[in-house]
Amino acid sequence: MTRYIIRRLLYMTPILFGVSIVIFLILHLVPGDPARLVAGPDATLEDVKIIRSSLGLDRPLPVQYLSWLGNLLRGDLGRSARTHRSVTHELQLTVPATAELTLSAIAIAVLLGAGAGTIAAVRRNSVFDYTSMMVALLGVCTPSFWLGLMLMLVFAVKLDLLPTTGRDGLDHLVLPAVTLGVGAAAIIARVTRSSMLEVLGTDYIRTAHAKGLSAQAVVLRHAVKNAFIPVITVIGLEFGYLLAGAVVTETVFAYPGVGWLLVEAIGFRDYPVIQGALLLFALQFALVNLVVDVLYAFFDPRISYG
Amino acid sequence: MKRLKLLGILLLGSFLVAVGFSSRGLAAQAEKVITIAQYADAISLDPQDTNDNASYSIEKPMIEGLIGFNERMEQIPQLAEKWDASPDARVYTFYLRKGVKFHDGTPFNAAAVKSNFDRVRNPDNKLKRYTLYKIISQIDVINDSTVRFTLSEPFGAMIATFAHPAGGISSPAAVEKYGKDYGKNPVGTGPYKFVEWVPNDHITMVKNPDYWDKNTAAKVDKIIVKPVPEDGTRIAMLQKGDAQFINPVPYIQAEVVKGDRNLSLASTEAVYTWWVALNVHKKPFNDLRVRQAMNYAINKEAIIKAVLRGQGKLADSPLAPRVWGYTPVKTYPYDPAKAKALLAEAGYANGFKALLRGVAQTDAKEIMVAIQGQLKQVGVDVEILSLPSATLTAERFQPLAENNGEMDFAGWSPSTGDADWGIRPLLTKDNWPPSNFTIGFYTNPKLEELVKAALQTSDGAKRKAAYAEAQRIIMDDCPWIFLWVNNLLGGTRANVGGISLQPDAIGFYRSVYYK
Repeated sequence: MTRYIIRRLLYMTPILFGVSIVIFLILHLVPGDPARLVAGPDATLEDVKIIRSSLGLDRPLPVQYLSWLGNLLRGDLGRSARTHRSVTHELQLTVPATAELTLSAIAIAVLLGAGAGTIAAVRRNSVFDYTSMMVALLGVCTPSFWLGLMLMLVFAVKLDLLPTTGRDGLDHLVLPAVTLGVGAAAIIARVTRSSMLEVLGTDYIRTAHAKGLSAQAVVLRHAVKNAFIPVITVIGLEFGYLLAGAVVTETVFAYPGVGWLLVEAIGFRDYPVIQGALLLFALQFALVNLVVDVLYAFFDPRISYG
Repeated sequence: MKRLKLLGILLLGSFLVAVGFSSRGLAAQAEKVITIAQYADAISLDPQDTNDNASYSIEKPMIEGLIGFNERMEQIPQLAEKWDASPDARVYTFYLRKGVKFHDGTPFNAAAVKSNFDRVRNPDNKLKRYTLYKIISQIDVINDSTVRFTLSEPFGAMIATFAHPAGGISSPAAVEKYGKDYGKNPVGTGPYKFVEWVPNDHITMVKNPDYWDKNTAAKVDKIIVKPVPEDGTRIAMLQKGDAQFINPVPYIQAEVVKGDRNLSLASTEAVYTWWVALNVHKKPFNDLRVRQAMNYAINKEAIIKAVLRGQGKLADSPLAPRVWGYTPVKTYPYDPAKAKALLAEAGYANGFKALLRGVAQTDAKEIMVAIQGQLKQVGVDVEILSLPSATLTAERFQPLAENNGEMDFAGWSPSTGDADWGIRPLLTKDNWPPSNFTIGFYTNPKLEELVKAALQTSDGAKRKAAYAEAQRIIMDDCPWIFLWVNNLLGGTRANVGGISLQPDAIGFYRSVYYK
């Protein structure tokens, strides 16, 4: 298993290398001149030229890429074109915030989604089943910026239970984490339900019932474990999407994370920050995939990696 | 089962780790704190390396210039008590306030002023405001409280350029100490002192107890500025009292703030004029009659009422009334019949097709749709192109030969508050893209002459006369569809006063107080 993990980690290098080239090319193909944007609306051509050369954007593209890659290999992601802060520093400031937000959101999503999905499957065609799946459907369809604002209006402004924005303790985390987690919870609930229904109809579950096990033991000990393989896959995917969702949620809640940083950087064509943040997203996506694969083996001992 | 428990522990663990990242700030004490939610974080707090209003709004309570603006954007003496200009607009002498100290204890004097402007006019420092001050060729310290600037050529708008927020004076000792990082550690002479900046979280400043003017000293202990990009979120913060002032209030929310008795709307008449630039090199906009027809065809009042919620008034000049040098010229009344007649006369009785570009934001989109609908009435078929600001900027700054622009919806505010910067960048040949923002590629020899002449003198009356003539020429020539001057909206809690937006959309935060 250890060797497998090491091998997978090594495979990530060419993937990230490919990603870095794609990001770089797409960025430079999209119209927009960082020097002009940094220089501001009433800048003269001379200002723009000075800034362009100070950003190194007057060099040929391959030179720019190689110099960026060279610095990357030394652990230097460059400096933001806009704020002059080092990208590494910007990420150090924002990554803990986004980690905190996405981990809370995925925890909420898994607890809510898997819980509701399991109960809905066990109590098939009950009121709980219908209402929870209805809510799940709404959850998938609700745009997160709208949900975020509505939660803020109700729980922060009207009921005065929670703060509106920012990052300053657990109470500040509740609304953004719920906003971000709801969509994922809904999908996890639906997948858990259908997967559980499939498993609950199998022969070995009937056998377990027949040998006199309690309903709870049948579900928790025998059904859940087998039903969870597809659920784990979905959780892994959703975790990746959460990073994208964080872009919207962080902006709505003025939550100082990587998502918000990225949106601002894109608005200014701040290449070093965009490249750094996207590379980090790609790395996280790859790592989550690895964790999911390892979890497969954990849930199903028949799966092993040599 | 064991594995499941383990998973549970993992999940719980991840949640606890997440919680662990959080750290609770100090609880608010009995001090007077004002929290401001503004649309964006600062980019730099070095005035000489700033060109965005979000940054200037935060710099201004901390860093003052030789000349400042009051909340109506009128020039007032700040660190200079008085000044004079040579008649040929080349030599400017400032008599400085005595006994002023920077927040770090460094004395403010003529040497400090010289060192500041020597820094910005040196191209090697690559500061964003280099071109604003590069015209200074020599700075002489006459004595400790007198400093003289000599320009390489006459420039009549120089006093306004010193009043520009980029003219803020920083402590030379701090500039030396922090070097490239000065923009994160500003030190000025203002009523508030910089404390900390957590990017995309907050910037804190506290009262400067040693401020040189007791009358305009800080009235609260602390100002915290938080960046909040989402409009609805800022409103929610104001309603809950998490913020005492928000910058800005979008027009669509104006009634919400007005209707809440805990809140009040701070409305300021802007120095912005809004217009649609017509590409005068393209058919049919090369025909004056067509450009006039476009002006008659738009019902400006209706758009002001519907989209701006009444927060604006008709533009009767290319300049807004609060710009120095403004003269009211005329407006083009809404008259679709006259527009049709003019189009017919120009040979476009059956109308034509045109492209209208603008930024992809709610207000701008609504305005462009309204313009499209109104032009349809006179037979002009407008296609709207809404682009994100970065892309739009790239498109607009293409040179004439490669520029697809036909009609461009835009607005402009002269950050110096002077007519020169409200006309020259927008309507003269040297400022055609890619150089600057004359995006309709307009020029008029008589106008070019007047704009140049107005810079050759420091005589206010002569300058005003030249600009008055310039404004008349522009209004007659119709290089634009002239639209309106808008109001800028901030929102305050009802118990807070002394805070608003300046006419140039920079926040005026320094006088804030609790009622």
